[in-house]
Amino acid sequence: MLIIILAVFGIGISFFATKQKTSKIWTLMFSAVLVMVAILDFWLPSSVAVNGPYFVLTPLRDWFLLILGVVATAASWFRFGYLQHDERATSFWLPLFLVSMLGVISANNVWLFMTAWELMSITSFFLVTLHHEQPGVLNAGYIYLVMSQISATLILSGLLLMASSLHTSSFSVFAASAHTLAPGIKDFVFALLGLGFAIKSGMVPFHIWLPRAHPIAPAPVSGLMSGVMIKLGVYGVAQFLLMDLGNTSVVWPFLLLVFGAASSLLGVLYALMEHDLKRLLAFHSIENIGIIFLGLGVMGLGIDWHRPLLEATGMVAALFHTMNHAIFKSQLFLVAGAVEQNTGTLDADRLGGLIRTIPGITIGFLVGSMAISALPPFNGFVSEWITFRGLLNVVSGSLGWWTVFGLVLVLVLAMTGALAGMCFVKASGVIFLGEPREPVKQERIPRHLTWPIMLLALLCLVLGIDPNVAIHAISSIQPGLIPNESLPLIPIHAMQTGLLLLLLIIVVGWLSRFWKVRKVPRWSCGRVPDASMQFTSASFTKSVRTTLAVIYRPHRNLDRIGTYARYFPDRLHYKGGTSPIWERFFYQPGYRLVWRLSHYSTKLQAGPVRLYLLYLLGTIGILLLLLR
Amino acid sequence: MELWGVQIIGVVVAILLSPLFVGIAQTVKARMQGRRGPSLWLGYHVLKKLWAKETTVPEYSSWIFQLAPTVSLSALIVIALFIPWGGQVPAGWPHDVLTVFFLLALERFWVGLAGLDAAGTFGGLGASRITTLGSGIEPAMFAVFGLLWYLTRGSLITPIMPHWWSHPLNMLPWGLAVLGYALVAIAELGRLPVDNPDTHLELTMMHEATILEYNGRLLAESQAAIAVKFTSITALGWVWLGPSLTSPWLNLVLRVAELALSSVLLGVIESLVVKLRYFRLPTYLGIAIGMGMLAVYLVAFQGGK
Repeated sequence: MLIIILAVFGIGISFFATKQKTSKIWTLMFSAVLVMVAILDFWLPSSVAVNGPYFVLTPLRDWFLLILGVVATAASWFRFGYLQHDERATSFWLPLFLVSMLGVISANNVWLFMTAWELMSITSFFLVTLHHEQPGVLNAGYIYLVMSQISATLILSGLLLMASSLHTSSFSVFAASAHTLAPGIKDFVFALLGLGFAIKSGMVPFHIWLPRAHPIAPAPVSGLMSGVMIKLGVYGVAQFLLMDLGNTSVVWPFLLLVFGAASSLLGVLYALMEHDLKRLLAFHSIENIGIIFLGLGVMGLGIDWHRPLLEATGMVAALFHTMNHAIFKSQLFLVAGAVEQNTGTLDADRLGGLIRTIPGITIGFLVGSMAISALPPFNGFVSEWITFRGLLNVVSGSLGWWTVFGLVLVLVLAMTGALAGMCFVKASGVIFLGEPREPVKQERIPRHLTWPIMLLALLCLVLGIDPNVAIHAISSIQPGLIPNESLPLIPIHAMQTGLLLLLLIIVVGWLSRFWKVRKVPRWSCGRVPDASMQFTSASFTKSVRTTLAVIYRPHRNLDRIGTYARYFPDRLHYKGGTSPIWERFFYQPGYRLVWRLSHYSTKLQAGPVRLYLLYLLGTIGILLLLLR
Repeated sequence: MELWGVQIIGVVVAILLSPLFVGIAQTVKARMQGRRGPSLWLGYHVLKKLWAKETTVPEYSSWIFQLAPTVSLSALIVIALFIPWGGQVPAGWPHDVLTVFFLLALERFWVGLAGLDAAGTFGGLGASRITTLGSGIEPAMFAVFGLLWYLTRGSLITPIMPHWWSHPLNMLPWGLAVLGYALVAIAELGRLPVDNPDTHLELTMMHEATILEYNGRLLAESQAAIAVKFTSITALGWVWLGPSLTSPWLNLVLRVAELALSSVLLGVIESLVVKLRYFRLPTYLGIAIGMGMLAVYLVAFQGGK
């Protein structure tokens, strides 16, 4: 009942709050209510008691509702200061988008789930294509819509397969008895749903829609899509495939791990080559989804091997990282929105030195960067640490090839973490530090842009120093897994590490008096220094591009212009980049194949009505024969 | 109580002696080249001199540039705090090796930021190089610690010596881990053949390029950070791979002796090898990764625990 009231409330905002200001206020209130419902239902389940036949809130759903609420609150607060082109359309679609995600999280049967899921795809499509008058936007939106539909079809067929095998469409029954399904059906369900949710989450190689769709949406929407929407794929995998299905063939967790590792490493490698801030962040979403899937894979292995401790570690790792990524990624997207509003561009190679013009936003970006690079004392450190622990338990708790496989995954995750650090050194350094590379405009940043970012940054710090609240909450999602509270997660000592670090920074900083300095010109070997001698985003990553040329397929073109161009060019034109190998080797051939096959279908579907009548007759005839 | 005493005194001694250990390596290098070399205490004199000087920063730098040495030094001191100087730590004291890796990443992150914040060419060059190298060092670290994960079923810094002592067949994995750790530690510390701390040539310098613009107290902090890193990383290797005694105090004395020995060894190695080309470094780290993986492979397939 409560969910229905909330949904009506949200839809009401869309249709009746016509004034911009009212709409923003109501959306913010709606998001805050979501947070409250999630918290109340989690810690005081009897107070809310959403347990109807249509909508249900379980601890797992509460956790995702909390994620939705936190990100939505920050995003709708951000909108008070965010200027954008077509605000009216956002005000209409955004509440609907929130309601649809609420529906996906709380739906208790297949029909409601799929309705909400499709509504989510469509509303987000309209939000992505708000600026459809700009070139390329409609094309990106179209790719997004197609991928969403493929994913929805797979999910629908998987859920229908479950529903028809269990003779019910209620998710409560799924949770109670799906583990009794025959292994063959489980395999089918896992394949269909796993693929569907992987596409929606933007796993490699189904990621191509993500870096196209996220950057063109307004910043609050990008934050919501990256922070919450793609996480609903994680919700689907955790709920239906791991918790409901229970014991499956060990191949499936293995595949989750393999795809998770591939997504995390390739995601960060592609992110490294981006110089558009929002595209960079979109690729990092792929990376972090990969890390979350590594956690889910560990959880699956724990279920299949009947090792509750391993299962618990994987679950805590995946769900905690889901929350953390939602926080810092929406924070970073909001920063990107603020930077765009302040300077009018997101191209890292045109920016620089923003720390002097927008210091608050810069701190927000730095905190987000350190959190996403898993550096102490922020929250990303804790969840990535637990993910490592999960993988290390796979290494140490098994023999033979599983040990080696586990170690390879550990190495991939380690490299991912280090490359993410490099990427964010690049992003923060090139955009916010140093000398401005080009004169850009400097719009004033309203307070309402800074505060939500600061709120999220504070959350990053709090969860990084005291993660125990979250860890305990997640362990209670699946009661009985851990006998002695969160025993295996204790050696993290996040609080000691964080507090020691902060204390030492204060003491050492105070001793060194680092603020007492005099400014002098920088060293440039005796030449006159200028902004162009700084490293750019392309030159910073040059050595990675050269080392991993197999993956990037870099190309460059250097034109020398002038009379004695060979040795003394007047000007140089440099154009370089990397090739999109997935598009070239995976999607283009597939597209051509489908295109060619579709020619054959014209023979069947030629247009004449009498042909169709014949098909109809034939079908009925066959059915009659079968049902005789 | 005794353990607390050893831990605290161990950290203080290690931090205070760290410039000396760097000095020993320099002296050994000088002797190998037929020079007398500077005094062993040069490191302390340099720190004292720098601490007394006025500090200047480049015009376009911000507070990031000024704060970075403090953050790096603090992160490295935290690492030193987590090393079990007496062979084991007091109850409840963190000594998790994963956290050590993340703290090293934190240090690298801030050094990189400071490099870009100086708004010069050298800083960016150094930042690019150390972060690229770091993305190879980090997996290599995880790989050579593979034996620790496997044998102790955890990530705490524990001596694994008893494990290989029990069975002669375990000697080979242990040896591989020692060699692998030596390779990675040299890379992490920025010594030859990976990085040369003695030159300021733009073709070769990595870590030096990021701190090129520092002077005064900020440079003193950066130098101290390098020295503390040398002590912590070396001691870390000795703790988990080397021998350990039952008495914590004797362990501490043993650690100091081992650190001095490592400095001498480093001086000898640095005199014998030449710096590798930058693009050969992936191969170098790949060898370390291979050694770590091979050690785990041998133990895992032999079924020995």
